[in-house]
Amino acid sequence: MAKQRMDGGRGRRPGVVSSAKRGGPGKGFWLALGLAAILGLGALGYLTTRPKVTATTIDPNLPPMKAEGYVLGSASAPLEVIEFADFECPGCGNFATLTEPDVRTKLVNTGKIRVRFIDYPLPMHKNTWDASLAAACANDQGKFWEMHDVIFNNQDRWNGEATGRPRPVLATLAKGIGLDMSKYDACMEADTHRAKIQSHLQEAERRQVQQTPTFIIGGKLIPGALPYDSFKKLIDEELAKAPATTDTAMKPTDARPSMELPADSSRRSPARADSSAKKAGAR
Amino acid sequence: MNKRMLVALVALAGVFIALYLTLYKLGYIGTLACAVGSCETVQTSKWATFLGFPVGAWGVAYYLAVLALALIGLTARYADSRQLSDVLLGVTGFGLLFSLWLTYLELFVIHAICQWCVVSAILAAILFVLSWLDRRDLTALIDDQAAEVAEQLREGTFGAQIRNTSEVAIRAVRREEQ
Repeated sequence: MAKQRMDGGRGRRPGVVSSAKRGGPGKGFWLALGLAAILGLGALGYLTTRPKVTATTIDPNLPPMKAEGYVLGSASAPLEVIEFADFECPGCGNFATLTEPDVRTKLVNTGKIRVRFIDYPLPMHKNTWDASLAAACANDQGKFWEMHDVIFNNQDRWNGEATGRPRPVLATLAKGIGLDMSKYDACMEADTHRAKIQSHLQEAERRQVQQTPTFIIGGKLIPGALPYDSFKKLIDEELAKAPATTDTAMKPTDARPSMELPADSSRRSPARADSSAKKAGAR
Repeated sequence: MNKRMLVALVALAGVFIALYLTLYKLGYIGTLACAVGSCETVQTSKWATFLGFPVGAWGVAYYLAVLALALIGLTARYADSRQLSDVLLGVTGFGLLFSLWLTYLELFVIHAICQWCVVSAILAAILFVLSWLDRRDLTALIDDQAAEVAEQLREGTFGAQIRNTSEVAIRAVRREEQ
């Protein structure tokens, strides 16, 4: 465009710089810009309204679960939900702090389901093994779920971004729920439950769990930190389908019939309660 | 189609990508989950928030600013403005550096890659190159205008006494610009 006026400048009025102004945008440009805007908005609209739950059907020929995990709920509940989770995963933290309280009061304590928790420590989370070990040690004293809750509620105090030495923080949490600290320390010191957690991890890999949290509800594998409504819907579908045909073959050795929940959030540290409230607001 | 039009189009694409990343971060798209080497790792790390806002939201603001600058640069008043090119080059240069820093964090600190973040970094690089080319075009345009003024000065009766006509012309043109 700049070159257009190089064809000789004779005959012009002196004092007037007549170099062609660069041409303004033509119709083509506005058309392209408008099309791009419509395309972009359309794509975003589709992505935000698309259903979030993407369940895959589990191969029914897979061998039955070997991992025990940790069970909460009645052994006679008609449906067992299995959760694969990583203690350091923020998605799992979200589920534990935002969805799980409702799951417990409305589904577990009413005897509709029981929940089986299976560790799936992911390789990129540096401190997650220590958290899994700490929860396993708490389980020795019958307080797995209490430890599970304080670990998730205080994720940002012990995770890989917060510290390189998570064990002292986890010990503080263990003390907070009233564990016998000499037993806990000995259990952590000896790495007592490493093999058990390793078996949980292998179970997750065998089940082709790709991400955490992932849930097994009936014959479906569902990834992602489900909001309560989606979770409830999947449970209801499954309960309506076959009220009594769940595998009760696995004996829930660590089963606990129910768990009184922190009715208020008094159990949570104030800092964590704040941040989960913020998360809730953002959704 | 001049460079500023291209800048506007690329910036618009950037707006949507950054908007996608922001909505994802806020939980409006997909469900939050953790997997190896995925966007989730990046998006849930502490570097996904900058000065209290999701990094994606800063991206939206950045791309909107570039889009606005490019559109202003297409109006008749600023079509020939090299200063606008200077500003555009500065802003996109900053955007490129910020993107490089974020990509460095992904590769060497978080050890996970988020593909749309990479796309955004590529767009930032394209915007910088386009802005640099735009500034070069504008410099050429000003030189052309200066050459024309110099010619007029030389041909005009009063120009006979002026030495360094082209230098005078360049200054004259630049002053008019300002």
